[in-house]
Amino acid sequence: MIEFHLDARSGVAPYRQLIHQVRHALRLGLLNEGDQLPKVKDVVAGLAINPNTVLKAYRELEYEGLVAARPGIGTFVTGTLDGGSLAAHRPLRRELQRWLAKARLAGLDDESIEALFTSTFRSASEEDIA
Amino acid sequence: MSAVIAADGLGKRYRRQWALADCTLSVPAGNVVGLVGPNGAGKTTLLNLAVGLLAPDAGTIEVLGGTPAAGRAQLARVGFLAQDSPVYAGLSVADHLKLGAHLNTDWDAGLAHGRVERLDMDPGQKAGTLSGGQRAQLALTLAIAKRPELLILDEPVASLDPLARREFLQDLMEAAAEQELSVVLSSHLIADLERVCDYLVVLVGSRVRVAGPVDDLLATHHLLSGPRRDPAALPDGVEVISASHTDVQTTLLVRTSGPVLDPVWTVSQVGLEDLALAYMSQATVRRRRDNNHHLEVQK
Amino acid sequence: MIWLSWRQFRGQAFTAAAALAAFAILLAATGPHLASLYTTSKIIGCRGFACAPAANTFFSKLAGLDTVVYLLGIGLILVAPAIIGIFWGAPLIARELETRTFNLAWTQGVTRTQWLAVKLALTGLAAMGVTEALSLIYGWWASPISKAIGLGQGGPQLFSQGNFSSVIFASHGITPLGYAAFAFTLGTAAGVLTRRALPAMAITLAIFAAAQVAMPLAIRPHLVSPSHTTASIYAADEVYGSLTADVVPGKPDAWIISSQALNPAGQPVSAIPAGCASPPGATGEKGGTSALTPAQCMQKRGYREAISYVPTSRYWPLQWTETAIFLALALALAWFSFWRLGRRRT
Repeated sequence: MIEFHLDARSGVAPYRQLIHQVRHALRLGLLNEGDQLPKVKDVVAGLAINPNTVLKAYRELEYEGLVAARPGIGTFVTGTLDGGSLAAHRPLRRELQRWLAKARLAGLDDESIEALFTSTFRSASEEDIA
Repeated sequence: MSAVIAADGLGKRYRRQWALADCTLSVPAGNVVGLVGPNGAGKTTLLNLAVGLLAPDAGTIEVLGGTPAAGRAQLARVGFLAQDSPVYAGLSVADHLKLGAHLNTDWDAGLAHGRVERLDMDPGQKAGTLSGGQRAQLALTLAIAKRPELLILDEPVASLDPLARREFLQDLMEAAAEQELSVVLSSHLIADLERVCDYLVVLVGSRVRVAGPVDDLLATHHLLSGPRRDPAALPDGVEVISASHTDVQTTLLVRTSGPVLDPVWTVSQVGLEDLALAYMSQATVRRRRDNNHHLEVQK
Repeated sequence: MIWLSWRQFRGQAFTAAAALAAFAILLAATGPHLASLYTTSKIIGCRGFACAPAANTFFSKLAGLDTVVYLLGIGLILVAPAIIGIFWGAPLIARELETRTFNLAWTQGVTRTQWLAVKLALTGLAAMGVTEALSLIYGWWASPISKAIGLGQGGPQLFSQGNFSSVIFASHGITPLGYAAFAFTLGTAAGVLTRRALPAMAITLAIFAAAQVAMPLAIRPHLVSPSHTTASIYAADEVYGSLTADVVPGKPDAWIISSQALNPAGQPVSAIPAGCASPPGATGEKGGTSALTPAQCMQKRGYREAISYVPTSRYWPLQWTETAIFLALALALAWFSFWRLGRRRT
């Protein structure tokens, strides 16, 4: 059974942190299909957070198809995050590394690279919607 | 979802002063509600009205659809933990559990005794010799074991050390999850509430300043910073809660349902504590302005 | 709620039980001796003028311990209601308000009214029970003395206090029960008003003491309509310059409310008339009027004594009336406590 922790200062909403930790555990293989997630009451007893926070996280994970709630019993892992998919995207990764090398050569620092990527990513998403 | 606490124009007066005035709330069920405000704002008054220890002087209040403390049935549905967890100093821990068993119809003795054991409390110890944290835990045991639908706590952790505070909140949340309780707790320490509350009520100067789900509040309040300008220049629909200016910069905490599109403003998130503080200082500024106005008028 | 009331009252109950038991042991130790003194005295079956001397003989045979116990008993019964009022009544609600435990008690499963009703009933009944038990066991012990007092006239000062005297009336019969109820509810009401145990105790003591003084002096004489009689002037005694009767002829047990000497014309007089004032004992001079005591002189002149009194037959009606008054006051005070504790306050 995995255990959650909370970073109160990270600026990330608590329920998001829980979701990240479940997905991370899935990727690392700490959680496998059929494993039970900690009961809501145990999570809140450990972290002193609102039960609705945990319920929200579990609901979103269920919506993503990663877990399923069985009323009266608990919440169980049903899907996987295929670590292999990372391998499948190896070409994309190498292209990205080359682009980053080029950006550094052009004199951009970390924040400028991030800003360039973010603005390009956003405008591209908006075009997709439009 | 029905409201656990529905207040309409609720007011309570002590001699000439209104300890609570014009309070209109509709607190939904299934939440952990934080009631925050400075000392003397009326938090204890509101909670006492909710459990029937006080009767209103104006307006109405309904708890779980019934009148507070109207009868045994209503009393059974609401658990209460008063400030400083008063207990009978001459009675032992076990006596207090017997008290709970005799005074409540739906008493869960197993839960009560289990908690006492888990907390390592000596059943024979007189309650007067317990530490503050243990007293709070004993009072919490009594409130939980009667299996209420709503639990009301008045500054339950105010006088506890950090460890006792954390343990108390852990136990409270566990009980809330297990029994599907609605919880209302008041505090003047917002940091504690941030972890556990998903609904916030800010009470300042005997009045409700803001009330709503935490997610909504965080989504609709923003911190705007930009070059110095008059807050009145903002479009309608953007309410300024607090403003501060330097000679070159203006920082505003605003409430708005839509996005802020003016590119001159840098928009950032607001934490719950800053949000509550902004409302509290807004009330102070208004009161001071009103007082000054009175003085000027008198001249 | 009964459990909680009892648990909070437990310590006080045991103290009272212990005190009662100790006193009962004392009574049991001295009672048989007293009873045998009585049976061997000539009081039983005495007739007429033989009774008073028989009674006086009985009194003279009493041991010092008997007298002490007699006085102790009266003292305890007079003081018990006050102690109950102060230590049981005043803290009942005041302590709960002072220590803020009402926040716990009134948010469980019983309403404020139920809470108060059970506490008042349990402790109130205990208060009345203890006082009445004390009164009963003492009454049993002291019955020989009570009977003898009824007969004796001019016995030792201590034992000339008849049934109607303030001290005796308040410590015998059922009046202690009324006092206990009154003192207890007085304490409770004071506690509700002051919300602090100590001031409540002080107020209870003050008011209860005042009531215990006011009742025999000002109220009790008006509770029952007295009988009237006109007796011979021999019944009167000169006390501080006025003529009052100290006993109703033929009714040694009666309670004299007021008395007044009457001149032959039927008008009230309060001093010995001039002609009768000279003291007797002037050695008789031959041929003069034989020396008369003032009383004989007045009798000869036709002076009489008018007496308003309450006969023994009215003893129990008077007891019931007074007890009823205090019980009514107790009920009013209890109702006040309920009313005042209404939710508007706190």
